[in-house]
Amino acid sequence: MSKPSLRWRDAGDAALARVLLAPTFLLLLLIVVYPVCRLLWTSLLDLSLSSGMPARFVGVDNYVSLATDPEFWTALANTLLITLITVPATLLVGLALALIANLPFRIRWPVRLSLLLPWAMPLAFVGMIGGWFFQSDYGVVNDILRHFRSTRIIWFNSGWLAFIAICLTIIWKTSSFVALVLLAGLQTIPQELYEAASVDGAGPLRRFLFVTLPLLRPAIAVAVIFRMITSLQTFDIPLTMTRGGPGTSTVTLAMYIHQNTVDFLDLGYGAALAVVLFFISMAVTAFYLRQVRAEA
Amino acid sequence: MIALTVPAAGIPIPRNNQTQRKLHVIRLVRLLIALGVLAALPAHAETTLNVFISSALRPEVMRQAFDQFEQANPGIKVTAQLGGATSDLQAQYLNTVLSAKDSSLDVLMLDIIRPAQFAATGWTVPLNQDVGNPATFLKQYLPAYADADMVDGKLVALPAFADAMFLYYRKDLLAKYHLAVPQTWDDLAKEARTIQAGEHDPQLQGLSFQGAPIEGTVCTFLLPYWGMGKTLVQNGHLTFDRAAAVKSLEFWSGLIKQGVAPRNAAEIVTDQTRKDFEAGKAIFAVEWGYGWNMFQAADSTVKDKVGVAELPALTGGKHVTCIGGWQWGVSAYSKHKADAVKLVKFLSSVPVSTLLAQQASLLPVFPGLYHDPQLGQTMPWLPQALPVVEQARSRPVTPYYNDVSNVIRTQTNAVLAGSESADQAASQMEARLRRVLH
Repeated sequence: MSKPSLRWRDAGDAALARVLLAPTFLLLLLIVVYPVCRLLWTSLLDLSLSSGMPARFVGVDNYVSLATDPEFWTALANTLLITLITVPATLLVGLALALIANLPFRIRWPVRLSLLLPWAMPLAFVGMIGGWFFQSDYGVVNDILRHFRSTRIIWFNSGWLAFIAICLTIIWKTSSFVALVLLAGLQTIPQELYEAASVDGAGPLRRFLFVTLPLLRPAIAVAVIFRMITSLQTFDIPLTMTRGGPGTSTVTLAMYIHQNTVDFLDLGYGAALAVVLFFISMAVTAFYLRQVRAEA
Repeated sequence: MIALTVPAAGIPIPRNNQTQRKLHVIRLVRLLIALGVLAALPAHAETTLNVFISSALRPEVMRQAFDQFEQANPGIKVTAQLGGATSDLQAQYLNTVLSAKDSSLDVLMLDIIRPAQFAATGWTVPLNQDVGNPATFLKQYLPAYADADMVDGKLVALPAFADAMFLYYRKDLLAKYHLAVPQTWDDLAKEARTIQAGEHDPQLQGLSFQGAPIEGTVCTFLLPYWGMGKTLVQNGHLTFDRAAAVKSLEFWSGLIKQGVAPRNAAEIVTDQTRKDFEAGKAIFAVEWGYGWNMFQAADSTVKDKVGVAELPALTGGKHVTCIGGWQWGVSAYSKHKADAVKLVKFLSSVPVSTLLAQQASLLPVFPGLYHDPQLGQTMPWLPQALPVVEQARSRPVTPYYNDVSNVIRTQTNAVLAGSESADQAASQMEARLRRVLH
C-alpha cells in the first residue's frame, strides 16, 4: 500500500496535484467554460429560429440594438431597483428574525421551522401566493385594508404599486435565507464577550452595536452578496405575480432574456442580453471574492 | 457475472466444483438473455405515439378519441402528454422541446396562431403528400382553418376544432328589464348600466373581458380595431392605423370608466371571465366557445339563464370576432412519422369532430356538422355559431407572431390598468411593431 504513494511522491507533488485536479477541471470545462463560450459566440450571431434562416455572424449588432432597445433599459432599471430595495430590506428583516431565533427559547424547533419554511418554498409558488395576496377582489391584503379605507387598491393597475407588491413578496421569501446565515453567525459569537461587556456596564443596545454587529460582519457580507446575486436574477416571482405588467413596468432582465429566447426564439439577441446579466453577476461575484480574501 | 466470480477469487476451489459453477453461470446468463428478449419483444411490436395536448381542453374527451384509434389500429398505443392550461404556456414548452430537436413528442396540438411559426422553423412535417390534393382535401373544412394551416404551400397541420369569441349574456336579466340582445357596443353599455342600476349589486359587473397581459388580450385590442375596418398585418407587412388603435384602446378604457367593466380589468385572464360569469357576477361576457358547457353544468349558478350571440358591432360598423381553434401537427422529430400522420388524419375526421362537440362543446371544423340535429340537442346555439365562425378573422399571420402578440398585449394591458394613455400606448405599439416587422 505504501509503494504507490512513494512512487507518486517521486514524480513530484505538482504532478500528483495535476492528476487529482484533472477531473474537477474537466468538469468545470464542460459545465461552465463551454456553455459560457457558447453563449458569447451565440450573442454574435443573427440566430432567430422564427426567421427560418440559418445563423449568420453579425459581430456586435445584437449589442448595438440592445443599447437602443427601450425595453432592455426598463428591464435593467427594474432589476437594479429590485436589488437596491430588497437587499437592504431583507438584511434588516433577516437580522431581526435571526436575533429573535437566537433568543433562549425552551423549545427551539417551531422558531427554526418557521424560519426555514419560506426559504424552502419554490419561488414560483411564492409568486403565485403573492399574486393572490394582492389580488384586488379576493386578496388577503385588500381584505385587511378594507377595515381602514373605503376604496380598494388595485395593486396591479399601477406600475409602482405592482412593484411594491413584488418587493414585499421577495422580502418575505428571502429574509429567511438571510436569517439562517446570520443565525449561524450569531451562534459563533462567544457568550463570554457579552458577559464581559455587561460587567463593563454596557446595556443591550451597546452590546448589540459593539459586540454583535462587528462580529457578525463576515456573515452579513456573505448574506448580502448572495442576496445581491439572486436578486439580479429575479425571475420567478414577478413572472407569476404580474407577468411583467401593467404594461412592461415590472419586467426584469431575466424575464426579458426568457421572453426573447423562449417566446420569440431570437437566440442571438437573447444571448446578448444574457451576456450583460452574466457580466453584472460576475462583477458582484468578483467583489465578493475580494471581500472574502480581505477577511482571510 | 462479475459478482458471481469475484467471491471465488483467492479461495481454492476443487476443479470439479469450478466447472459446476461455470455451468451455473452460463445457465444464468442464458436465462437473463431470454428474459431480456421477452421483455423487449412487445416494445418492438408496438409503437407508442405521444400526443401533446392542453390540460384545459378536456383531455378526458381527447382520450376517448385516442381509445377509438387504438382499437382500429392494433399495435399502436397513444399516450397523452398534458401541456399547460394556456396557449402561452404550451407554446413555451413546445418552443423549448422542439428547438432542442427532442423526439419525445409525435403529435402536437397547436393554437391557430402558430402554423406560420411552425412552417418557418420546420417543426412539423408538411402533410401535402398524405392528403392527395391539399386544395380539394381542405375544402371539407371551414375556410378559416384551411387558410391558417396552409403556409407558403405547405400543409402544416390539420384542423382539430373551431373556436371564436362570442357574447354570452344573462337571458333572465335581459328579460327582467325587457331588453333585447345588444347589436352594438353602445347598446351593450347602456343595457348593462340599466341592469346594474336596477339590481343594486356592487359585485355585478356589466361586462367581463380579458385585459391581463395574455394572448386573449390581443383579441380584446383587435375587436374594435377590426370593427373600424382596419387590418394590422398584410402579407407580412405592418398596416398599423394609429388613429384606430387609439380609438380601440379608448373604447375599452371608456367601458371601465363608465363602470360597465370592472376596474381591475387589467387583472382578468380568460378563465377568470368564465368563472365570474359562471358565478353570476357578470351580465355580459366576451368568451370563447368552451364556456357554454361550463355555464350549463349542473353546479353552475347561471344554468339555463345563459344566451350566446355574435359580438356587438361598433355603431355604424360591422360585427367582427376573433377566430381561435386548434390544429393537429406531426412533429418533425418524431420517430414514428407514418403512424403519427395516420393518427392526425383520424383526429381531424368527422367522427372525432362530432365527439368533441358532443362531449366537450368544442366547435366542429366541418360546416355540415353545425346543422346536425343530434349535436343541436347538446348545443342549441350551434346553427347560430356557424356564420360567426365563418366570418371570424385571424390574428396577424407571421412567423414572428409571439413578438407581435407581446407588443399588443402589454400595451393594451397598460392602458386598461390606467398606467399609460391610449395615445402613448398606440405610439409604443407602432414603434415596437416596426422593430419586429421591418
